[in-house]
This record gives sequence, C-alpha cells and structure tokens, in this order.
Amino acid sequence: MMRAATRAIARPAARTAAAKGVPFTASPVLAVQLPVWRSRLVLFALFAAFCALVGRALWLQGISTEFLQKQGESRYARTLELPATRGKITDRNGQVLASSLPVKAIWAIPEDVLQTPPEKLAALAGLLGMSDADLRGKLDSDRSFVYLKRQVEQETADKIAKLGIDGIDTRREYKRYYPEAEVMAHVVGFTSVEDVGQDGMELAQQKTLAGSIGSRRVIKDRMGHIVEDIEAVREPHDGKDLVLSIDSKIQYIAYTKLKEAVEKNQAKAGAIVVLDVKTGEVLALANLPSYDPNNRAVLSGAQLRNRVMTDTFEPGSTLKPFTVALALDTHRVTPETTFQTAPGQMYIGPALIHDAEARGVLSVAEIIKYSSNIGTSKIALSMPAQEMWDMFTDVGFGQQPKFGFPGAVAGRVRPYKSWRPIEQATMSYGQGIAVSLIQLARAYMIFARDGDEIPLSFQRVDTPPIGQRVISEKTAREVRAMLETVASPGGTAPKAQVPGYRVGGKTGTAYKVVNGGYALPHRYIASFCGFAPVSDPRLIIAVMVDEPTGPVHFGGDVAAPVFADVAANALRSMNVTPDSSVTNIIIPAGGAAEGM
Amino acid sequence: MSGRLTFLLAAALILCALSLVKAQYQSRRLFIELERAQAQAGQLDLEWSQLQLDQSRLGLHARIDALARRDLNMVPVTPARTQYLTVDGQ
Repeated sequence: MMRAATRAIARPAARTAAAKGVPFTASPVLAVQLPVWRSRLVLFALFAAFCALVGRALWLQGISTEFLQKQGESRYARTLELPATRGKITDRNGQVLASSLPVKAIWAIPEDVLQTPPEKLAALAGLLGMSDADLRGKLDSDRSFVYLKRQVEQETADKIAKLGIDGIDTRREYKRYYPEAEVMAHVVGFTSVEDVGQDGMELAQQKTLAGSIGSRRVIKDRMGHIVEDIEAVREPHDGKDLVLSIDSKIQYIAYTKLKEAVEKNQAKAGAIVVLDVKTGEVLALANLPSYDPNNRAVLSGAQLRNRVMTDTFEPGSTLKPFTVALALDTHRVTPETTFQTAPGQMYIGPALIHDAEARGVLSVAEIIKYSSNIGTSKIALSMPAQEMWDMFTDVGFGQQPKFGFPGAVAGRVRPYKSWRPIEQATMSYGQGIAVSLIQLARAYMIFARDGDEIPLSFQRVDTPPIGQRVISEKTAREVRAMLETVASPGGTAPKAQVPGYRVGGKTGTAYKVVNGGYALPHRYIASFCGFAPVSDPRLIIAVMVDEPTGPVHFGGDVAAPVFADVAANALRSMNVTPDSSVTNIIIPAGGAAEGM
Repeated sequence: MSGRLTFLLAAALILCALSLVKAQYQSRRLFIELERAQAQAGQLDLEWSQLQLDQSRLGLHARIDALARRDLNMVPVTPARTQYLTVDGQ
C-alpha cells in the first residue's frame, strides 16, 4: 500500500522534474528517505534464497550424491555376466572325450505367449519337439517365467527367434557333448543340465573343471552399444582342461572285446580295467551294461553302475598268488616244495574243501598252475593269520582307495583275530573276502613290478612314481614265472595266450554272494587278472564277467579270452616289442580243470 | 598486452577442449573395435571347440574300425603275418 502510494505520487513528480530540466541525480524522488529495515529485508530475502541454493547444492553434491549417481547409473549402466566354459576332458593323446558348447534355454512369459495366434504356437511346439497340448500345459501357469525347453541347439533357437512370438526369450547355457558315448561313459561320467558334474571324473574333478563366471559394469548408449567400462572387469576363468590317463584306443578295444564276451556268454554284466605297469595310469576302464551320456532319458541303476570301482566280489583263485608269494617271501616254501593234494578233498575242522580234480603231490609252482585249493590252503595254514592279513592290507585289499574316484569302495577283509582256520584256508584262495576289480588289478602290480606297489592315477602321469616295496624282487619273479605257466597249454587258462607275447595271470571263478550267503543254484563270477609281456610287464589287465549263463562259466573260458584279445591289440597299439617267437598258439582241447 | 594473452589462452583452451573431444571419440571407437575383436575371438574359440568335437566324432575308433572292415575290406594284423625287424638287422 505504501509503495503504491509513493509511486503514484512520484511518477507525475518525476515527469515534472524532467520536464523542468532538473538533473536525475537531483531528483527529489531519490531524496525520499525510506526506512532502513526495508532494504535489510530485501537483502535478507536474497541471502536466504542464496543459502537455500547452496544448501540444495550441498545436499545434491555432497550428501545424497551416491544415491543419485546410482540412480543415474542404473539408467545407462549395465552389469554383464561373462560366461566361463567348463574345461574339456581329453584322453592321454588329446582326443576330446567331453566338451561343452553353448546352447539355448527357451523360456517364456506365459501371459504374453498365450495371446499369439494358434498357428504360431503350433509351429513353436513343432520346433521344440513337443505336442501342442504339452506346450499349452507348460504355458498354463500363474508364474511369470516358465522354461519351455532347455539345452536347445543354436539352430533351433534361431528358428524360434524368427517366429517372433512375444514373451519368448532365450538364455545362454552349455551342453556337454560326449563323442565316445557309451564306450567311455563310466570313466568320464556326465554333468547335470546346470553343467555340474554328477558322476565319474566329471564329479571327481568338478572343482578344476568348472570355471568361475566373471562380470563387468559398462555404460551402454541409446543404441545398446557398449561405450565404456565403469569398473574393473572381473575376468571370467574358464575351467581347466583335464587330461585323463585313458588311451581311447585301448579303451575301445577293451570295451568291444568285453562286449563280445558278455554277449557270447549271455552274462549279466562285465567289467575290465587296464593298468600301465610303469606309471600306474589307468589306460582303460569299461563296464557293461553301459549307457550313452549324451542321451540319459532312460537310465537304469545297472547301466550307471561302475563295477570296476564300486562293486566288490569274492575274487576266488585270482588271490592264490598272494598266499604263495607270502610263503615264498618269508622263506617258508620254495617253488619246488611239494604238498600232497590227494585225494582231492580235505577236512578243516568240520568243513570240507575240495579241488576240481585230484592231482596228488604238487609243487608250489604246480599248485598255482593247476589252481589247487587244497595246496593253497595247506600253504596258508602254515602261516600266522596276522601275516596274511598284513599281506592283503599291504596290497590294498580292505583299504579305502586313494585315487579320487567317486564311489570307489574299500572291499572287505575281516580282522585277522576273528579268523578261524577254515576261514584262513578259504581266504587263501579268495573266498570270504571281498575286493573290487580295480583293487585286484592294482594288487597284481607287486608281481608285474618286481615286488613294489605304486599309486594308481586317472590323470596322465609324466614322471613315474616311486614304488613301495611289498615283496622281494626274487619272489615277484618266481610268482611271475608260475603265473606264466597258468597261461600255458597245460595250465588253467590256455586261452589267455597271446601270439608273439609271453603272458601271465590267474583265473578266478567264484560263487556269487547274495544276502550274505552263496546264491543257489550257484551263480558265478568268472575273472582273470594278468599281465604282459612277462619279460618286462607293461600292462595289467583284469577282467570280470558276472553270471555267465552259457555252456561255460570258468574264468579260463570266459574271462581269459577277453584278456588275450585286449592284451594282443593293446600291446600292438603301444608298439611293445614281442618277447616270444611263438606266433601261433596252441589251445589243448581239454585244458586243465579249474578250481574255484 | 593482457588482451592478447587472454586471446591466446582462450585459443589454447579451445584447442584442448577439442582434442579432449577427439580423444574421447577415439577411445570409444577403439573400445568398440576391441569389443568386436573379443567377440570374434570368442566365436573362433567356439568354432575350434566344435571342430575338435567333430574331429573326435569322426575319429572314433568304432567308426574307423567299421569303415576299414566294411568299405576297405581290411583285417586286423596278427603276429603270424608280421615280419619283425630288430635294430641290428637280424
């Protein structure tokens, strides 16, 4: 009010003053004395406004800056996941046994997808390889995210993208391919749909095979191009490649020969393992029945079972050489010491044990050659139980294996304090004791390697390990010579002979144990464990055929031929110099009858 | 004198600003190129894996065995039909 009034008065006055030629500075209007508080008020108002501005700036720049920057960043910065590939698994020569390739998982937002025309949905169902009803079933869900199909190959995913259906998207994932399929299944194992190892080496080496995914924060422009990194990139680390000790050629030989034998003898199952004597590497490990790890839609427990590692059986006569080796090593007998085995049966306490054939007086070497239960029992009973138990334990029976394979079992050797004489006798020829095939093969190292044992490995070994002595070199050589006679025309396994190479080994035929007792009618496990060439052993091969139901069931007839076939082919593929001039082998019509 | 200095400094400032713009542009261009090269490396890596896998598949012993027997009428070598030579020529 005041101001308006002043102005109303001043205006005509100024006009009159100018008109009268009064200079501006002398204008009487300026001379008006306004109260000081008015200018102070204005000054204060301006200052307050300025303070508000400073305060706001401080607030934005100083205090809430982090929050605001985050908000800004979230509008143009993106975190990208950098995928890491699972390591490859190769055999000892670099041939790929398992490799991951990217594929797509197709997922959908059901609400959006259901609005597409039916013919497009039908096309989608066709590409996904499912029926229209199945697809609709999957889409009929309240969730906002549904996997339609996982592990779809890139080509199919591209075709699906071309359909241009709203609400369908893909996610990158990996699929594991196994080119060797069922031949290598039990060694390599397989991974789950999430690329996590489930069995075999895939499981055992999960930590090194799996990579670690990385991430990076980037700024993207309007077009979606990456403009720059805003944080240090967390590099992805691909999984390490794994080189196995397996030789895929020997593995193929072992698998096919075992398969032939299992089919020929109408057996329930079979297993084979091939070891390198010098390095302790597992060159081949095969099981039947097997499965295709690429297609695991229908899998039975029998197919998944790794009989070499996880099944124990009563080894039978294949254990006799250990009893004999112990007796030789402790100088209780020499290869020439004789034992009376007539009349082919013997009472130990109330229990009766018998040989397949009564043979009279046999030397220790002949006891092995003809696989005499009575002879072995007599040798065993001359020794304290503890020494036998120590021997079994030293070669690894009843001990948890250390080679890092999932599900490997320890087998069973009861404490020696509870052994009765009859048990000590039967154990000497491999009954009442449970071992796995790989334990048996490893135990034969002491004969093949001049008396020492080395650890087994599923990964390639470049420097041969140092052995641990179990028996003397002399004993090992003596037993080796005896085992060679087993695989000779007069022994129990003439069919184990290999043209061009001297071989040695021992047959085993054991009754199958079911629910703690022998199955009736008797079911058998035929086995053969041997090495070649005898002059300087390179390979140990152990074969086991479960429940052969053909006309023959002895280890020498069922398992020994597999040994011979595999040894012949494997030695040739390894370029091992032949140590025998015999190139045509003689298999006598009858051969020696075999003990259990 | 002071006017000329101001002018020079202003010119220098503008040059600096322009070079900054150029450097930024260059860096983004190179970054995109790097991105592209890395993507290509990834793609080639993938292709290599695929080829390795194919090689394994084609080189399967089962396949070679079958081809040799069926198409080429080959039989496995046996020691009976093999002439072994020793280093000293015996």
